[in-house]
Amino acid sequence: MRKRLFKQRTKTYRYIGNLENPSLRDFLAGRIWLREHSPFSEELITQHIQLGYIATLPGVKKISKMNSRFKRMNYICNRCANNNPNLFVTYYCAACEQTCVYCRHCISMGRVSSCSDLIKWVGPTPRKAANHLFSWTGTFTPYQQKASKELIESINANRAHLIHAVCGAGKTEILFPAIYECLKEGKRIAVATPRTDVVLELAPRIQQVFPKTKTQALYGGADVEKNYAPIIIATTHQLYRFEDAFDTIIVDEADAFPYTHDETLQQAVTKAKKSDVPIMYVTATPSEKLIYQIKKLQGGYSFIPRRYHGHPLPVPRYESLWRYTKQIESTRLPKKLVQWTKKQLQENKPFLIFFPTIALMEKAIPLFHQLEPNIQAVHAEDPNRKEKVLELRAKKVRGLLTTTILERGITIPNVQVAVVGAESGIFTSSALIQIGGRVGRSFDCPTGDLVFFHHGISVEMDRATKEIKRLNNTELTTI
Amino acid sequence: MNTICYLCSKPLKSRLTWKQLIMYEQQAVICSTCDSKFELVKPEEQKSPDIQALFHYNEAMKDFLHQYKFFKDIVLKDVFRSEIAKALKNADAVIVPIPMHPEKIKTRTFAHIDELLKAVGIPYTHLLEKITIESQSSKSKMEREQSAQLFQLKPNSIIENRPHILIDDIVTTGTTLKHAKAILIAAGAPSVKAFTLIQG
Ligand SMILES: [Zn+2]
Ligand SMILES: [Zn+2]
Ligand SMILES: [Zn+2]
Repeated sequence: MRKRLFKQRTKTYRYIGNLENPSLRDFLAGRIWLREHSPFSEELITQHIQLGYIATLPGVKKISKMNSRFKRMNYICNRCANNNPNLFVTYYCAACEQTCVYCRHCISMGRVSSCSDLIKWVGPTPRKAANHLFSWTGTFTPYQQKASKELIESINANRAHLIHAVCGAGKTEILFPAIYECLKEGKRIAVATPRTDVVLELAPRIQQVFPKTKTQALYGGADVEKNYAPIIIATTHQLYRFEDAFDTIIVDEADAFPYTHDETLQQAVTKAKKSDVPIMYVTATPSEKLIYQIKKLQGGYSFIPRRYHGHPLPVPRYESLWRYTKQIESTRLPKKLVQWTKKQLQENKPFLIFFPTIALMEKAIPLFHQLEPNIQAVHAEDPNRKEKVLELRAKKVRGLLTTTILERGITIPNVQVAVVGAESGIFTSSALIQIGGRVGRSFDCPTGDLVFFHHGISVEMDRATKEIKRLNNTELTTI
Repeated sequence: MNTICYLCSKPLKSRLTWKQLIMYEQQAVICSTCDSKFELVKPEEQKSPDIQALFHYNEAMKDFLHQYKFFKDIVLKDVFRSEIAKALKNADAVIVPIPMHPEKIKTRTFAHIDELLKAVGIPYTHLLEKITIESQSSKSKMEREQSAQLFQLKPNSIIENRPHILIDDIVTTGTTLKHAKAILIAAGAPSVKAFTLIQG
């Protein structure tokens, strides 16, 4: 008390006492952030470190491994948990005037070096908002209803859960009641997915359902908002920047690239959640490994074999497209592909044509432009991907050529789909099932064409077709 | 040894080619797909007879420069070492990098132009020093041309009676190089040419 009076009298000092800066607290809570990239002033951060509200740790940790003959340096990145020696760079650092090490694995989020600090919030926790509004007016099919109830039961019982729902079953809606239950208990929720496109599709829908709740969408290139959001919708990549943050975590499309291929992403999910909470999974194409994992953890399992409109999944038809690579490379579009495209153009239906490689797609673009100039192409590195998908939905673009990047998450009413080179290795059975899942999603247009153009039928193509047929023939149990 | 492409992280097919054995060429650190995205500047496309630029400033090069300078990914100094070596190894000249302000070197943690030369093992001499800390690219073309001296001769520099070659990462208007050249000429350099990685 005496201290406070003293500070008030001498007005040259700005009193900060033990009160934390609310904006800094709300931003940093649950995050692990590169100090030099923080949206707050260095002065403010230093103050909070002195107050004991912010902890720091070095960006890269050195683990020297001694074995009998060799002394080898190993490193681990304290942000992304990368420990692959090929992804660390030792260099002479002009700032420290000595040798430093940085991590290349997460460099696009700002370089983390052995001489850069990561900061964490260890001060008072943000005040939790109490009034959440749940404004969802849709109705569930009995299957959705059941899955939604089972998910909430698993969350309450603190056990893992897998929702296995066919493409177009309405799996996002299933999450709404569970999210609301968590919000009511003051929990913080993350919905994470490997794909930016899925984040872009999910975020506005979830925000709409919870209009009074702060929701942040995080993906590469998204703006950093300086507030506390009880709902975070993020790419799994962005979870590198969280630690001990979430009371509930839902991983959507866990089987999508690159999540299954990148162990550090799986670690990121584990690190971002509070240590004692399980992970909830939602996908149309669970891997055998995931199903096994859930079984082993004695987690809950919900299965939805039907689309919300009750119509069956479109079954692919096969069309041979012999030597399509050679034909496209010699600037000739295969005849069947031309006929298919012309048909969609005549009937004024939006369409997606999937290609196995960017290179082949780029060779095909000018050939498609001879049929119709208003056809666009998208791939992973395309900065205008989001706009192009919106334009297809708004019918401003007639059709899109794409790589597997659009296999998931997007919904375009009445879209017709072709896969060129369906036998290529990149088109796994789950990729093909997901691609097929784009067709016939809307209530008004529940069917549509799904064609696999191929140079020989692959095992994966057959596996996908078999699985689609199996799902369509699954006995509907009464609920 | 590096086994993945520095730019796209795909595995590198590491094979020792005859070219590498005979020409003592360095092993590539990027894959052929990434490599094919860079466009060499043809002799007739050079903007000035005194400036030799290696590559065009296309999308791939923009990404490269961004990752190298702004993400501070210093390993990328090795990406163009064969091309840089080919262009400069046999130049009988004093190699003079365009300098960075010492404050700027500290924040970036390395001098990106010096590193390009170090990666190739080309000896260089710093004859100039930067006076202002502001960056050229944040100014308009007019501002750049009107701006006061950017550099000064380093104290106690000895100018040899040999051709000089200035080294920069990118040439856009040529103002930077013009300033640097004027100083070297005034100090007694018999001729000053320039080499840049990129033509903007
Ligand atoms: Zn890292
Ligand atoms: Zn350092
Ligand atoms: Zn590459």
